[in-house]
Amino acid sequence: MGTLNPTRRVAYLAGLYLLAIVLGVGSAWLWLTRIGISGVDAGAWRVNLLAGSRDADAYTRARIALGAVLALDRSETLYYTTDHDDTGAPLRAECRYRIAGSPPPARWWSLTAYAADHFLFPNDAKRYSVSGESVTLDSAGRFRATIGPTSEGSQNDRSWIPTTGEGGMRLTLRLYGADEAVQRAPESLATPSIQRIGACS
Amino acid sequence: MTLKRLHWRRHLIIAPAVVALVHGLTIWAVPRLIMDRIIALGSTDSTLERTNGVTLPPPTDHTQRRIVMPSPDLLYATCFFDLNEQPLRVTLSTNYPRYWSIALYSSSSDNFFVVNDRSAPDGHVDLTVVDPRHQAVTSTLQNGESRVVVAPTHRGMLLMRLLVNDDPGVRAAAELARRSLRCSR
Repeated sequence: MGTLNPTRRVAYLAGLYLLAIVLGVGSAWLWLTRIGISGVDAGAWRVNLLAGSRDADAYTRARIALGAVLALDRSETLYYTTDHDDTGAPLRAECRYRIAGSPPPARWWSLTAYAADHFLFPNDAKRYSVSGESVTLDSAGRFRATIGPTSEGSQNDRSWIPTTGEGGMRLTLRLYGADEAVQRAPESLATPSIQRIGACS
Repeated sequence: MTLKRLHWRRHLIIAPAVVALVHGLTIWAVPRLIMDRIIALGSTDSTLERTNGVTLPPPTDHTQRRIVMPSPDLLYATCFFDLNEQPLRVTLSTNYPRYWSIALYSSSSDNFFVVNDRSAPDGHVDLTVVDPRHQAVTSTLQNGESRVVVAPTHRGMLLMRLLVNDDPGVRAAAELARRSLRCSR
């Protein structure tokens, strides 16, 4: 390399530093998009303890900004998210899932389904979530909801969240005003189970 | 070892440092760029209704594609602020009986303040949001007439959330409540 003429030397240097910049941006992007949000697990769900917090580190802040910008901190809201069912299989919009559990101990809670692009699934009924207000509890005080292209019951089933298309899916369980014990130890929450029902369409 | 070889070795040491620096800068910049985009879109979108310095987006549905993971159970109201010139005064007077909150976010996306229906049970909110440099304003306002909130960055946004459901009466009450929010200079 010591014999390179000045023009080629400049070209090599430009290439070297361009490669350095691409590697810098690329490694950051891979880190943010391929590595899941850090946090603690509760069943199939994960909750980030620093979402919306001023104590969040730079990586957490960037990941939250990409996937759940404008989050509130855990004293106000806890966000449990998942992209897989109880067996660890990735959630798919073309499959049907039964979500069941006890109502979380919070002032108010809701469960929302998002498509892979983190936006709501289009549907004419504008039904995107189930909550403590829309589900019916059985004699044991448990709720059951369905997420998928078809309902387990009627088309007007208020505990059904319709999905459309194919591809990945993400669920978010929001707890507004969670009980203090859950705020202190979010991993202690008995989160709803997620089981696939039947074959995918 | 020639001088030219030393020159190349120097670059082979500097290049990995550039990789690390660019990596760190990207991580640092992502939330700020996203907030910049949200503030720019929200401030300039002519399809959104604005009143009393407050932007009133339509009820959340699948056509909302400005902010990821919107909550369909909430009605929102937003204000965007730049505290460089003067503080932001935020007032609210409501008797909305369900959950509501007002959260303030910095330009780096941190939630630095929140008040809700439980912390303001009378439904009255009066805030003056100031830049840390506005010390004079801060000291004159610390007499109880308006709660002073010091923002960590001069740009940012306010997001009001109101819990709604399918009941038209609840939706009408939430609409009335968010229209009582005022953001002024």
